[in-house]
Amino acid sequence: MAAAPQVLTSRRWARAPFYFNSAAHLLRIGKEKATNLQELLDAVRSCSDACIFQHTFQTLEEHHFIREGFSNDFSHWAFSACNEVGLAERLAALDVREFTSIAALRERVVHIMESYLERNPRATTRPAMEPFYLMAVDLVVVPTPYVARNLEEFAEGLRNVSIHSIYYHFIDARLRIKLNNNDFSVWLDRDLDMGAAADRINRIDIYTSTLEGVRRNILRTIEGEMART
Amino acid sequence: MKKEQTQKPVEEKAPDGNAGSGKAEPPRVAGAPFKERRFRQTHLPAHFIERRKRPRIQTEPPPPPAPPRLEDYAAIIGKPELDEIRFLARHLQGKTVKMVNSTAVGGGVAEILNRLVPLMNELEVPTKWEVITGGNDFYEVTKGFHNALHGGEYNLNQQIQDIFMSYNEQNRQRMEFVEDLFVIHDPQPAGLIRSKSETRGRWIWRCHIDLSNPHAGVWDFLKPMVEQYDAAIFSSPAFTRQLNVPQYLFYPSIDPLSEKNRDLEESFIDKVCDDFGIDRSRPILCQISRFDRLKDPVGVIEAYKLVKKYVDCQLVLAGGGATDDPEGAAVLEEVMAAAGDDPDVIILNLPPWSALEINALQRASTVIIQKSLKEGFGLTVTEGLWKQKPVVAGAVGGIPTQIIHKLTGVLVHSVEGCAYQVRYLLTHPEFAAQLGKNGREHAKENFLITVNLKRWLLLFQILLGVAKPSKTS
Repeated sequence: MAAAPQVLTSRRWARAPFYFNSAAHLLRIGKEKATNLQELLDAVRSCSDACIFQHTFQTLEEHHFIREGFSNDFSHWAFSACNEVGLAERLAALDVREFTSIAALRERVVHIMESYLERNPRATTRPAMEPFYLMAVDLVVVPTPYVARNLEEFAEGLRNVSIHSIYYHFIDARLRIKLNNNDFSVWLDRDLDMGAAADRINRIDIYTSTLEGVRRNILRTIEGEMART
Repeated sequence: MKKEQTQKPVEEKAPDGNAGSGKAEPPRVAGAPFKERRFRQTHLPAHFIERRKRPRIQTEPPPPPAPPRLEDYAAIIGKPELDEIRFLARHLQGKTVKMVNSTAVGGGVAEILNRLVPLMNELEVPTKWEVITGGNDFYEVTKGFHNALHGGEYNLNQQIQDIFMSYNEQNRQRMEFVEDLFVIHDPQPAGLIRSKSETRGRWIWRCHIDLSNPHAGVWDFLKPMVEQYDAAIFSSPAFTRQLNVPQYLFYPSIDPLSEKNRDLEESFIDKVCDDFGIDRSRPILCQISRFDRLKDPVGVIEAYKLVKKYVDCQLVLAGGGATDDPEGAAVLEEVMAAAGDDPDVIILNLPPWSALEINALQRASTVIIQKSLKEGFGLTVTEGLWKQKPVVAGAVGGIPTQIIHKLTGVLVHSVEGCAYQVRYLLTHPEFAAQLGKNGREHAKENFLITVNLKRWLLLFQILLGVAKPSKTS
C-alpha cells in the first residue's frame, strides 16, 4: 500500500488561522499619588484595575529592552525612592504570568506590602525621595496585516510584527484568555496539535529576556519544528 | 602612576601667529560678550589652541531643510510601527483638527507643531495650525502668567485679567471653529474654550509647562477655563493639578530626523570638532544648555576638575542665550571665570541655528552631562539618549522619567556624585555602552515624535468614540 503523502509541518494547515494583533496604549494620569509606602499601599488597595495593570503588566512592555533590574513600577519605586531593598526584592519577584486576573495580582501586591510594613513599621511613613504617581492605561487593539494559516506563515508573522504585538499576544493575553498561557501557545496546541512546542514557548522567561529576546526564542522553537520534517 | 607626557609643550600663539607673549590679543568665546580668558601653557598641539580661541561658528542661519515624510521614519521605527500609525489614522480620516498656540516661530511648541501638523495631514487627518495674535500688553501678561505658573511672584489684578480675556475674545471672534477636534496649547489661548458651546467638536488643552507649584491667584483664574475642556494633557505626572477632566500623559518628544538628531557622517563630526578645537583622541564630556544657573554649568566645571585628576579629558559647554539675555551673559562670565586658564574647558556660545553643530558635539561626546538643578522635561537628555550616549544628569524635573538610574543613564545629586559617575563611565566603557544602548531604546519607545503622533491619534479616537479602550481586569 502506498504511503500517504507526508505534509511538511511548516505547511500543515491549522484548524483556524492566527490573526496577529497589536495594541496601542495611552497613559491616563490618576488622581492618587503616594509620598510614602503607607500611601502607596492605600492607593494600591483603592485604585482602578487599569492602574494596577499599568504598573505591573504594562511596565514590562515599556521597559521591554531592559533585561535586568526592572520588573514592575512598585518594586522600582520601593528601591529607588524609598530605599527599601527587601520590599523591592519581594515585589520584583512577582511574576505577572502567574495571574489571570488583576484582582488576584492586586491582592498579592497588598499582601507583600502589608507583611513587609508590619515587620518594618518605620518604613511605613518615611517620606520617599520622589512621589509615586498612579497612572492608568487605555489600550486599543490594532490589527496587523499578518495572518498565519500554517507554521511557515506564523514564523513570517513573528519576524515582521512590532514588539508591541509580541507583548500583546505573549503577556497581555493572560488576562484576556484567563489562562496561565499565551495566545501563541494556545494556537499551536489547539489548532496545530503542537503541545510540546506550545509548552516550550510558554516557559520562556520574560524577566531575564527582552521582548526581542522573547521573539527570537519563539522563532527558534518554531524554526526547530519546521526543520524536523 | 601618572603617565609621562611625551609631547613637548607648545607655546601659546597669538591669533596673528606670533608666539604668545603678554601682548597677544586675548582669546575669546565666540559669540559671547568680549571677555579675556588666558590659557595656561599646555601640551596641546598648536592648532587646537588656536581653534579653541577662535572657533569657527556659522554666522548666518542655513536654509531650513524640507520636512521629512512619514515613510522616512520607517528606517528608524520599523515598518510594523508605521503600519500601526497608519491604521490608527485610517479610522480618523475625514475628521478635522485645529491646533492653536501663541507663536509660529521659536520655542518648543512651534518646533513640535512644525513637524506634527504635516505628518497629520500626510495621514489624511486634515490638521490646521493657527496662531493667536495680541499686542505687547497681552504678551507681557502671558509672560507674567508663565513665570507665575512656574511659582514666581505675581500681582494679578482685574486689569490684567481683562487684557488676557479681551485678546482671547478678539481671537475667538476672528477664528472659525468648525473642526472635530480643537487642541489648544498652553495658557495663552486657553480662553478660546468659550467657543465650545457653539461647536460640535471635542476640546483638548495641551499644557507644556510645569504646574506643580503655580501662583495660586493665576491658577485660580485659569482653572475654570481648563475644566471646560474635554481632556488635558501634561508632559509629566509631576506637572499636573487636580482637575475634574481626564488628564493624559504625553511626554515631550524629539524628531529623530531633525538636524539636531539625525545621523551624521563621521567626517562632519570631525569637521565640527576641528572647527571648535576639540581633540577627538581624548574623552569628551559635554553639556549642552543655555547659560543659565539652573543648568549648573559651574557645577559641571567643578565636576570636570575632579574627573580630570584621574582621567585626561576635555569638557565642552555649549549653549546659547548669552548674547541677547543679560543674565545669560553674566552666567557666561561666571563660567569663564570658573574655567580659568584650563584649555581643555571649551566654552561655546552658539547661535540658534547651530542644530547640526550641537548634534555633532553630542555625537562626539564620550559622556553627556545635564547637571540641572531645576528642569522642565530636559530634552537635551532625550537627545543624548537617542544618540546612544551614556548620560549623567541631575535627578530633577522630567529627567528621572528618562533616566532609570544605572539602566538608561545615571542620576546624580551633587558635584561629587557627578564627578564619580563620569569617572566610572570613562573607565568602564562596556557599562557605558550598555547604558547608551538601553537609553536609545528608551527614547525610541517613549520620546520620539512618532510615538506622540500615535498618542494623538489614539486620543482623538477615544474622544470621538471611534475606539473604545479594552477593559483590563
